[in-house]
Amino acid sequence: MSWRWRMEMALPKDLLEILACPKCVREPGCTGELEYRESANQLVCHHCRLVYRIEEDIPVMLIDEATPLEE
Amino acid sequence: MDCFTRSYDPALKKANVAELMQNDRFELVQGDLVQMDLHGILDGVDLVFHMAAQAGVRSSWGKEFEFYLHHNVLATQRLLEACRDKQPSRLVYASSSSVYGDQREYPSSEEATPRPVSPYGVTKLAAEHLCVLYWKSYKVPSVSLRYFTVYGPRQRPDMAFHRFLKAIWSNVPLVIYGDGRQSRDFTYVSDIVDANLRAAEAGRPGKVYNIGGGARASLREVLGILEKITGRRPQVSWERREMGDVLHTMADLTLASREIGYRPTVGLEEGLARQWDWMRCWLEKMPQISALGRVSPLPPGQG
Repeated sequence: MSWRWRMEMALPKDLLEILACPKCVREPGCTGELEYRESANQLVCHHCRLVYRIEEDIPVMLIDEATPLEE
Repeated sequence: MDCFTRSYDPALKKANVAELMQNDRFELVQGDLVQMDLHGILDGVDLVFHMAAQAGVRSSWGKEFEFYLHHNVLATQRLLEACRDKQPSRLVYASSSSVYGDQREYPSSEEATPRPVSPYGVTKLAAEHLCVLYWKSYKVPSVSLRYFTVYGPRQRPDMAFHRFLKAIWSNVPLVIYGDGRQSRDFTYVSDIVDANLRAAEAGRPGKVYNIGGGARASLREVLGILEKITGRRPQVSWERREMGDVLHTMADLTLASREIGYRPTVGLEEGLARQWDWMRCWLEKMPQISALGRVSPLPPGQG
């Protein structure tokens, strides 16, 4: 599979705007806001300290597959 | 959205959308409908086609039922709750002929009493009822389509035609559960696409429509068609019928024809020929994909 054309592009802004951390988005007072780290190709939830990877242009928004934020 | 569950190799699923991923008007998110905040996802969305499901009849017994409840019932309820707030113009739900179970009369009309014979069918029926309920209670304009055995290019690898064609290509016996007299109303994938578009445009909210291929064939008849289109005589390994399999399905298309103008256009022989063309290309040109779940060919001379 060659997805090279898309691999050079950043995550579309409109897509970024509608994504939220599935773990905390329903918690009271929490928006599930995500930080997009383009160089690492990751979405980070600082509230949960979880990292969601973006694989072949597909944001993987599964709690079980998120990894702890190490910083 | 797709959860890319491991019901079969996710690499095969992703290969199905490889072409779409090159289109800058297509966006895909891997997520679980039960976990995700769907309000954001549904912002500005006019049409929702809900095909997310844990598929497969035979594997829905026992411990696995939990997955069926999660992905078929709970996921549908979460989506309907979000649609209650966002009010798209239509939500088209992919139901299944498995809700009918074994009926006393064929063809089955939407008025027939559903009698699922598998836990899978029970979950599809439950989700269908939820769709109707959210229309009646909250005006979520859902339309449910009962698909009758969908086949064609990119068919799931556990489904009969995919397994049959792959076995023929590999010169190994194909497996038939039961005596081969069971029959299905087989529906070609492009007819399913057409039905979805029609339902989104003209389907009456809260209604359920049968979507079939327009004719019924037994598996024994299918074997004859396979021999004709592949030029190879299928070898068959006969296995005991599995729990959850229905004996026959056949759709009464009167309602779908009258209300959404649905008429199937691809017959079984033509559809199977197209699937055979796709499968040969898929197996020959994409060895890295087709190797997943490959069946070992027989030694030369035994084919």
